Amino acid sequence: MAESANSRVLVIPCSGIGKVHGLMAREATYRVVDELEPQASGTLCLALLVKGDEEAVEAVRTQPCITIDGCPKLCSYKNVQLAGGTIAESVRVVDAFKGRKGAQPGTATELEQDGWTITEEIAQQLAARVRELRGGEEQ
Amino acid sequence: MAERFAVLPCNGLDKAVGPLAREIALMVVEACQGELICPVLYNNLPAHYAKALELPLIVVDGCGTRCASKLATEHDLKVRRKLQATDAFKEMGESRGEGLTPDPERLALCRLLAERLLSAPDEGTALGSEAAFAEPVEYATVTHDKFIFRIPMKGYLFDENHCWAHIAGNRARVGIADYMQQELGDLTFCELPQIGAEVEQFGEIGSVESVKAVSDIISPVSGRVVAANAAVVEAPEIINEDPYVKGWVAEVELRDLASDRDLLLDGEAYLALVRQKAAEYRP
Repeated sequence: MAESANSRVLVIPCSGIGKVHGLMAREATYRVVDELEPQASGTLCLALLVKGDEEAVEAVRTQPCITIDGCPKLCSYKNVQLAGGTIAESVRVVDAFKGRKGAQPGTATELEQDGWTITEEIAQQLAARVRELRGGEEQ
Repeated sequence: MAERFAVLPCNGLDKAVGPLAREIALMVVEACQGELICPVLYNNLPAHYAKALELPLIVVDGCGTRCASKLATEHDLKVRRKLQATDAFKEMGESRGEGLTPDPERLALCRLLAERLLSAPDEGTALGSEAAFAEPVEYATVTHDKFIFRIPMKGYLFDENHCWAHIAGNRARVGIADYMQQELGDLTFCELPQIGAEVEQFGEIGSVESVKAVSDIISPVSGRVVAANAAVVEAPEIINEDPYVKGWVAEVELRDLASDRDLLLDGEAYLALVRQKAAEYRP
Protein backbone atom coordinates (compact mmCIF):
# COMPACT_ATOMS: atom_id res chain seq x y z
CA MET A 1 0.00 0.00 0.00
CA ALA A 2 1.31 3.42 -0.82
CA GLU A 3 2.46 5.50 2.11
CA SER A 4 1.58 9.13 2.46
CA ALA A 5 4.65 11.34 2.52
CA ASN A 6 3.91 12.70 5.98
CA SER A 7 3.89 9.29 7.63
CA ARG A 8 7.47 8.53 6.66
CA VAL A 9 10.51 8.56 8.88
CA LEU A 10 12.75 11.42 7.85
CA VAL A 11 16.43 10.56 7.44
CA ILE A 12 18.25 13.86 7.51
CA PRO A 13 21.95 13.98 6.73
CA CYS A 14 24.18 16.93 7.32
CA SER A 15 25.04 18.93 4.25
CA GLY A 16 27.72 16.36 3.50
CA ILE A 17 29.88 18.71 1.53
CA GLY A 18 33.58 19.07 1.83
CA LYS A 19 34.49 16.00 3.87
CA VAL A 20 34.41 12.30 3.19
CA HIS A 21 32.38 11.59 6.33
CA GLY A 22 29.73 14.01 5.11
CA LEU A 23 29.65 12.27 1.75
CA MET A 24 29.14 8.95 3.55
CA ALA A 25 26.23 10.40 5.52
CA ARG A 26 24.65 11.57 2.30
CA GLU A 27 25.24 8.29 0.42
CA ALA A 28 23.87 6.25 3.33
CA THR A 29 20.76 8.42 3.27
CA TYR A 30 20.31 7.93 -0.47
CA ARG A 31 20.65 4.18 -0.01
CA VAL A 32 17.91 4.13 2.61
CA VAL A 33 15.39 6.46 1.00
CA ASP A 34 15.95 5.32 -2.59
CA GLU A 35 16.49 1.60 -2.14
CA LEU A 36 16.22 0.03 1.30
CA GLU A 37 13.09 1.73 2.68
CA PRO A 38 11.68 3.91 -0.10
CA GLN A 39 8.10 3.67 1.14
CA ALA A 40 8.82 4.13 4.82
CA SER A 41 11.42 6.87 4.68
CA GLY A 42 12.11 10.19 3.10
CA THR A 43 14.71 12.89 3.39
CA LEU A 44 14.75 16.61 3.78
CA CYS A 45 17.16 19.29 2.71
CA LEU A 46 18.83 20.61 5.84
CA ALA A 47 19.39 24.05 4.31
CA LEU A 48 15.63 24.49 3.94
CA LEU A 49 15.25 23.83 7.63
CA VAL A 50 18.07 26.17 8.50
CA LYS A 51 16.47 28.91 6.41
CA GLY A 52 13.18 28.42 8.24
CA ASP A 53 11.16 26.93 5.40
CA GLU A 54 7.71 26.39 6.92
CA GLU A 55 7.04 23.04 5.28
CA ALA A 56 10.43 21.74 6.39
CA VAL A 57 9.90 22.88 9.97
CA GLU A 58 6.44 21.34 10.02
CA ALA A 59 7.83 18.07 8.64
CA VAL A 60 10.50 17.63 11.32
CA ARG A 61 8.01 18.49 14.04
CA THR A 62 5.40 15.99 12.92
CA GLN A 63 7.46 13.11 11.54
CA PRO A 64 10.02 11.00 13.39
CA CYS A 65 13.54 12.04 12.39
CA ILE A 66 16.83 10.21 12.22
CA THR A 67 19.72 12.62 11.94
CA ILE A 68 23.00 11.47 10.47
CA ASP A 69 26.09 13.60 10.78
CA GLY A 70 29.47 13.20 9.17
CA CYS A 71 31.58 15.05 11.65
CA PRO A 72 31.31 15.83 15.36
CA LYS A 73 29.96 19.32 14.64
CA LEU A 74 26.56 17.59 14.37
CA CYS A 75 24.99 20.12 12.03
CA SER A 76 22.01 17.91 11.27
CA TYR A 77 21.27 16.98 14.88
CA LYS A 78 21.65 20.54 16.13
CA ASN A 79 19.54 22.15 13.44
CA VAL A 80 16.73 19.61 13.63
CA GLN A 81 16.72 20.04 17.39
CA LEU A 82 16.74 23.82 17.04
CA ALA A 83 13.72 23.62 14.72
CA GLY A 84 11.82 21.67 17.36
CA GLY A 85 12.11 18.38 15.48
CA THR A 86 11.34 14.96 16.87
CA ILE A 87 14.70 13.20 16.87
CA ALA A 88 14.25 9.49 17.28
CA GLU A 89 17.87 8.62 16.57
CA SER A 90 21.11 10.45 16.01
CA VAL A 91 23.86 8.70 14.06
CA ARG A 92 27.46 9.84 13.62
CA VAL A 93 29.51 8.51 10.74
CA VAL A 94 32.74 8.95 12.70
CA ASP A 95 31.49 6.39 15.22
CA ALA A 96 31.42 3.75 12.51
CA PHE A 97 35.18 4.12 12.13
CA LYS A 98 35.84 2.99 15.67
CA GLY A 99 37.78 -0.25 15.61
CA ARG A 100 38.64 0.24 11.93
CA LYS A 101 42.07 1.69 12.18
CA GLY A 102 43.58 2.38 8.79
CA ALA A 103 40.32 2.37 6.88
CA GLN A 104 40.57 4.45 3.70
CA PRO A 105 37.09 5.76 2.97
CA GLY A 106 38.04 7.97 0.01
CA THR A 107 37.72 11.68 -0.51
CA ALA A 108 35.07 14.35 -0.15
CA THR A 109 34.03 13.70 -3.74
CA GLU A 110 34.49 9.97 -4.18
CA LEU A 111 34.27 6.97 -1.88
CA GLU A 112 36.68 4.06 -2.08
CA GLN A 113 35.90 0.46 -1.18
CA ASP A 114 36.27 0.99 2.59
CA GLY A 115 34.04 4.01 2.36
CA TRP A 116 31.31 2.15 0.48
CA THR A 117 31.51 -0.80 2.89
CA ILE A 118 31.08 1.36 5.97
CA THR A 119 28.39 3.42 4.25
CA GLU A 120 26.43 0.26 3.52
CA GLU A 121 26.67 -0.78 7.18
CA ILE A 122 25.41 2.62 8.26
CA ALA A 123 22.59 2.43 5.72
CA GLN A 124 21.53 -0.98 7.03
CA GLN A 125 21.59 0.41 10.58
CA LEU A 126 19.44 3.35 9.50
CA ALA A 127 17.01 1.13 7.61
CA ALA A 128 16.62 -1.14 10.64
CA ARG A 129 15.85 1.87 12.79
CA VAL A 130 13.31 3.10 10.24
CA ARG A 131 11.56 -0.28 10.44
CA GLU A 132 11.60 -0.16 14.23
CA LEU A 133 10.07 3.28 14.22
CA ARG A 134 7.39 2.05 11.87
CA GLY A 135 6.56 -0.73 14.31
CA GLY A 136 8.48 -3.49 12.61
CA GLU A 137 6.63 -3.27 9.32
CA GLU A 138 8.26 -5.15 6.47
CA GLN A 139 8.56 -3.51 3.07
CA MET B 1 46.31 28.45 -13.71
CA ALA B 2 42.62 29.29 -13.49
CA GLU B 3 41.53 31.82 -10.89
CA ARG B 4 40.67 30.22 -7.56
CA PHE B 5 37.19 30.61 -6.13
CA ALA B 6 35.32 29.86 -2.97
CA VAL B 7 32.14 27.99 -3.85
CA LEU B 8 29.01 28.18 -1.74
CA PRO B 9 26.47 25.61 -2.90
CA CYS B 10 23.05 24.97 -1.50
CA ASN B 11 22.62 21.87 0.61
CA GLY B 12 21.89 19.91 -2.56
CA LEU B 13 19.49 17.29 -1.29
CA ASP B 14 15.85 16.30 -1.30
CA LYS B 15 15.03 17.12 -4.91
CA ALA B 16 16.59 15.82 -8.12
CA VAL B 17 18.10 19.19 -8.87
CA GLY B 18 19.87 19.48 -5.50
CA PRO B 19 22.48 16.81 -6.17
CA LEU B 20 23.09 18.41 -9.58
CA ALA B 21 23.92 21.71 -7.88
CA ARG B 22 26.22 19.87 -5.53
CA GLU B 23 28.01 18.11 -8.40
CA ILE B 24 28.49 21.41 -10.24
CA ALA B 25 29.94 22.98 -7.10
CA LEU B 26 32.34 20.10 -6.54
CA MET B 27 33.46 20.17 -10.17
CA VAL B 28 34.14 23.91 -9.99
CA VAL B 29 36.18 23.49 -6.81
CA GLU B 30 38.13 20.62 -8.30
CA ALA B 31 38.85 22.49 -11.54
CA CYS B 32 40.05 25.71 -9.90
CA GLN B 33 41.56 24.14 -6.76
CA GLY B 34 39.16 26.31 -4.84
CA GLU B 35 37.53 26.15 -1.42
CA LEU B 36 34.17 24.55 -0.77
CA ILE B 37 31.88 26.11 1.80
CA CYS B 38 29.39 23.88 3.57
CA PRO B 39 26.22 26.02 3.68
CA VAL B 40 24.86 24.63 6.91
CA LEU B 41 28.15 24.84 8.76
CA TYR B 42 28.69 28.34 7.38
CA ASN B 43 25.25 29.32 8.65
CA ASN B 44 26.10 28.00 12.11
CA LEU B 45 29.76 28.94 12.27
CA PRO B 46 30.70 31.62 9.72
CA ALA B 47 34.13 32.23 11.22
CA HIS B 48 35.10 28.73 10.14
CA TYR B 49 35.23 29.95 6.54
CA ALA B 50 36.75 33.40 7.03
CA LYS B 51 39.94 32.42 5.23
CA ALA B 52 38.15 30.66 2.37
CA LEU B 53 35.95 33.69 1.79
CA GLU B 54 38.96 35.82 1.03
CA LEU B 55 38.66 34.21 -2.41
CA PRO B 56 36.09 35.51 -4.93
CA LEU B 57 32.79 33.74 -4.40
CA ILE B 58 30.65 31.58 -6.66
CA VAL B 59 27.16 30.65 -5.45
CA VAL B 60 25.42 27.54 -6.78
CA ASP B 61 21.73 26.99 -6.07
CA GLY B 62 19.64 23.97 -6.92
CA CYS B 63 15.96 24.73 -6.61
CA GLY B 64 14.01 27.96 -6.64
CA THR B 65 14.31 28.39 -2.89
CA ARG B 66 17.87 29.58 -3.55
CA CYS B 67 19.15 28.79 -0.09
CA ALA B 68 22.77 29.50 -1.01
CA SER B 69 21.93 32.92 -2.48
CA LYS B 70 19.86 33.80 0.56
CA LEU B 71 22.69 32.76 2.83
CA ALA B 72 25.13 34.91 0.87
CA THR B 73 22.78 37.89 1.08
CA GLU B 74 22.18 37.45 4.79
CA HIS B 75 25.90 37.40 5.46
CA ASP B 76 26.52 40.29 3.10
CA LEU B 77 28.87 38.27 0.91
CA LYS B 78 29.94 39.71 -2.39
CA VAL B 79 28.98 37.21 -5.09
CA ARG B 80 31.24 37.16 -8.11
CA ARG B 81 29.28 34.57 -10.09
CA LYS B 82 26.20 32.47 -9.56
CA LEU B 83 24.24 29.65 -11.09
CA GLN B 84 20.89 28.05 -10.40
CA ALA B 85 20.76 24.46 -11.59
CA THR B 86 17.00 24.46 -12.29
CA ASP B 87 17.28 27.40 -14.66
CA ALA B 88 20.51 26.20 -16.20
CA PHE B 89 19.06 22.83 -17.15
CA LYS B 90 15.88 24.47 -18.40
CA GLU B 91 17.87 26.83 -20.60
CA MET B 92 19.80 23.91 -22.06
CA GLY B 93 16.50 22.17 -22.77
CA GLU B 94 17.66 19.25 -20.65
CA SER B 95 15.79 17.25 -18.06
CA ARG B 96 17.02 17.38 -14.49
CA GLY B 97 16.37 13.66 -14.24
CA GLU B 98 14.72 11.88 -11.39
CA GLY B 99 15.97 10.47 -8.12
CA LEU B 100 18.74 11.74 -5.96
CA THR B 101 21.67 10.16 -7.78
CA PRO B 102 22.57 11.90 -11.06
CA ASP B 103 23.07 9.59 -14.05
CA PRO B 104 26.16 9.85 -16.32
CA GLU B 105 24.33 12.05 -18.82
CA ARG B 106 23.35 14.50 -16.09
CA LEU B 107 26.90 14.45 -14.71
CA ALA B 108 28.27 15.34 -18.14
CA LEU B 109 25.91 18.32 -18.27
CA CYS B 110 27.02 19.33 -14.79
CA ARG B 111 30.62 19.31 -15.99
CA LEU B 112 29.67 21.53 -18.92
CA LEU B 113 27.92 23.97 -16.60
CA ALA B 114 30.89 23.99 -14.23
CA GLU B 115 33.21 24.85 -17.11
CA ARG B 116 30.87 27.60 -18.24
CA LEU B 117 30.68 28.98 -14.74
CA LEU B 118 34.45 29.21 -14.51
CA SER B 119 34.69 31.07 -17.80
CA ALA B 120 31.58 33.24 -17.33
CA PRO B 121 31.71 36.99 -16.88
CA ASP B 122 31.21 38.20 -13.35
CA GLU B 123 27.82 39.12 -11.97
CA GLY B 124 27.07 42.79 -12.04
CA THR B 125 30.02 43.70 -14.20
CA ALA B 126 29.50 45.65 -17.35
CA LEU B 127 32.46 44.15 -19.18
CA GLY B 128 34.12 47.47 -19.69
CA SER B 129 31.01 49.06 -21.12
CA GLU B 130 30.09 51.13 -18.07
CA ALA B 131 31.01 54.36 -19.77
CA ALA B 132 28.89 53.50 -22.79
CA PHE B 133 25.84 53.31 -20.55
CA ALA B 134 26.30 56.78 -19.17
CA GLU B 135 23.34 58.26 -17.40
CA PRO B 136 20.74 59.73 -19.75
CA VAL B 137 20.77 63.47 -19.74
CA GLU B 138 17.31 64.18 -20.94
CA TYR B 139 14.07 62.95 -19.39
CA ALA B 140 10.60 63.85 -20.52
CA THR B 141 7.89 63.62 -17.91
CA VAL B 142 4.21 62.82 -17.90
CA THR B 143 2.28 64.01 -14.88
CA HIS B 144 -0.98 62.51 -13.70
CA ASP B 145 -2.39 63.54 -10.33
CA LYS B 146 0.49 63.14 -7.91
CA PHE B 147 2.34 60.75 -10.22
CA ILE B 148 5.22 61.78 -12.43
CA PHE B 149 6.44 59.30 -15.01
CA ARG B 150 9.91 59.80 -16.47
CA ILE B 151 10.99 58.77 -19.95
CA PRO B 152 14.57 59.02 -21.23
CA MET B 153 14.38 60.46 -24.72
CA LYS B 154 17.70 59.39 -26.24
CA GLY B 155 19.46 56.06 -26.49
CA TYR B 156 16.54 53.99 -25.19
CA LEU B 157 14.04 51.80 -27.00
CA PHE B 158 10.82 50.59 -25.40
CA ASP B 159 8.23 47.92 -25.87
CA GLU B 160 4.57 48.13 -25.02
CA ASN B 161 5.19 46.02 -21.91
CA HIS B 162 6.99 49.02 -20.41
CA CYS B 163 10.40 47.45 -20.61
CA TRP B 164 13.36 49.26 -22.08
CA ALA B 165 16.63 48.54 -23.86
CA HIS B 166 19.45 51.06 -23.58
CA ILE B 167 21.58 50.59 -26.67
CA ALA B 168 25.37 51.07 -26.69
CA GLY B 169 27.23 49.63 -29.65
CA ASN B 170 26.44 45.94 -30.00
CA ARG B 171 25.05 45.71 -26.48
CA ALA B 172 21.94 46.76 -24.65
CA ARG B 173 21.00 46.96 -21.04
CA VAL B 174 17.46 45.95 -20.28
CA GLY B 175 15.15 46.99 -17.47
CA ILE B 176 11.66 48.12 -16.60
CA ALA B 177 10.29 51.59 -17.20
CA ASP B 178 9.35 54.14 -14.58
CA TYR B 179 5.67 53.64 -15.39
CA MET B 180 5.89 49.91 -14.68
CA GLN B 181 7.81 50.27 -11.43
CA GLN B 182 5.27 52.79 -10.15
CA GLU B 183 2.40 50.56 -11.22
CA LEU B 184 3.95 47.61 -9.35
CA GLY B 185 4.83 49.61 -6.27
CA ASP B 186 7.62 48.73 -3.85
CA LEU B 187 9.60 45.85 -5.31
CA THR B 188 10.55 43.02 -3.01
CA PHE B 189 12.24 40.55 -5.34
CA CYS B 190 14.04 40.52 -8.66
CA GLU B 191 15.09 37.44 -10.56
CA LEU B 192 17.93 37.73 -13.04
CA PRO B 193 18.58 35.70 -16.19
CA GLN B 194 21.40 33.21 -16.43
CA ILE B 195 24.62 34.58 -17.88
CA GLY B 196 25.08 33.07 -21.34
CA ALA B 197 21.37 32.48 -21.90
CA GLU B 198 19.97 33.27 -25.32
CA VAL B 199 16.92 35.49 -25.23
CA GLU B 200 14.43 36.18 -28.00
CA GLN B 201 12.84 39.55 -28.61
CA PHE B 202 9.90 39.85 -26.23
CA GLY B 203 11.13 36.79 -24.36
CA GLU B 204 11.32 36.68 -20.59
CA ILE B 205 14.60 37.94 -19.20
CA GLY B 206 13.76 37.99 -15.52
CA SER B 207 10.97 38.89 -13.19
CA VAL B 208 10.11 41.36 -10.49
CA GLU B 209 7.80 40.97 -7.57
CA SER B 210 6.17 43.64 -5.48
CA VAL B 211 3.66 43.68 -2.69
CA LYS B 212 1.00 43.92 -5.40
CA ALA B 213 2.04 41.53 -8.15
CA VAL B 214 4.66 39.47 -9.91
CA SER B 215 5.63 40.55 -13.40
CA ASP B 216 7.92 39.10 -16.04
CA ILE B 217 10.58 41.39 -17.44
CA ILE B 218 10.31 41.25 -21.21
CA SER B 219 13.43 41.78 -23.27
CA PRO B 220 12.81 44.29 -26.06
CA VAL B 221 15.84 42.87 -27.89
CA SER B 222 17.19 39.47 -28.87
CA GLY B 223 20.67 38.26 -28.05
CA ARG B 224 22.85 36.61 -25.44
CA VAL B 225 22.90 37.65 -21.82
CA VAL B 226 26.43 38.75 -20.96
CA ALA B 227 25.89 40.37 -17.58
CA ALA B 228 23.27 40.65 -14.90
CA ASN B 229 22.91 43.24 -12.21
CA ALA B 230 23.35 41.44 -8.89
CA ALA B 231 22.74 44.70 -7.03
CA VAL B 232 19.03 44.66 -7.83
CA VAL B 233 18.67 41.17 -6.38
CA GLU B 234 20.09 42.27 -3.08
CA ALA B 235 18.25 45.59 -3.15
CA PRO B 236 15.24 45.53 -5.55
CA GLU B 237 14.32 49.03 -4.42
CA ILE B 238 17.11 50.30 -6.66
CA ILE B 239 14.72 49.67 -9.55
CA ASN B 240 12.08 51.82 -7.86
CA GLU B 241 14.58 54.56 -7.18
CA ASP B 242 16.46 54.61 -10.48
CA PRO B 243 14.76 52.37 -13.04
CA TYR B 244 16.69 53.54 -16.10
CA VAL B 245 20.28 53.59 -14.87
CA LYS B 246 21.21 51.80 -11.66
CA GLY B 247 18.12 49.62 -11.92
CA TRP B 248 19.17 47.79 -15.07
CA VAL B 249 18.52 44.05 -14.94
CA ALA B 250 20.55 42.40 -17.68
CA GLU B 251 23.02 43.25 -20.39
CA VAL B 252 22.52 41.60 -23.76
CA GLU B 253 24.89 41.17 -26.67
CA LEU B 254 22.61 42.13 -29.55
CA ARG B 255 21.77 39.60 -32.23
CA ASP B 256 19.69 41.58 -34.73
CA LEU B 257 18.96 45.08 -33.54
CA ALA B 258 17.92 46.22 -37.01
CA SER B 259 15.01 43.76 -37.03
CA ASP B 260 14.21 44.17 -33.35
CA ARG B 261 14.00 47.93 -33.75
CA ASP B 262 11.08 47.60 -36.19
CA LEU B 263 8.83 46.47 -33.35
CA LEU B 264 10.02 48.94 -30.71
CA LEU B 265 9.16 52.48 -29.71
CA ASP B 266 11.65 55.32 -29.50
CA GLY B 267 11.42 57.92 -26.75
CA GLU B 268 8.85 60.06 -28.54
CA ALA B 269 6.56 57.16 -29.38
CA TYR B 270 6.84 55.74 -25.86
CA LEU B 271 6.10 59.17 -24.40
CA ALA B 272 2.85 59.19 -26.36
CA LEU B 273 2.00 55.73 -25.04
CA VAL B 274 2.66 56.75 -21.44
CA ARG B 275 0.51 59.85 -21.87
CA GLN B 276 -2.33 57.64 -23.04
CA LYS B 277 -1.77 55.13 -20.21
CA ALA B 278 -1.44 57.85 -17.61
CA ALA B 279 -4.84 59.19 -18.52
CA GLU B 280 -6.27 55.79 -17.59
CA TYR B 281 -3.90 55.27 -14.63
CA ARG B 282 -5.48 53.96 -11.43
CA PRO B 283 -2.76 53.19 -8.88
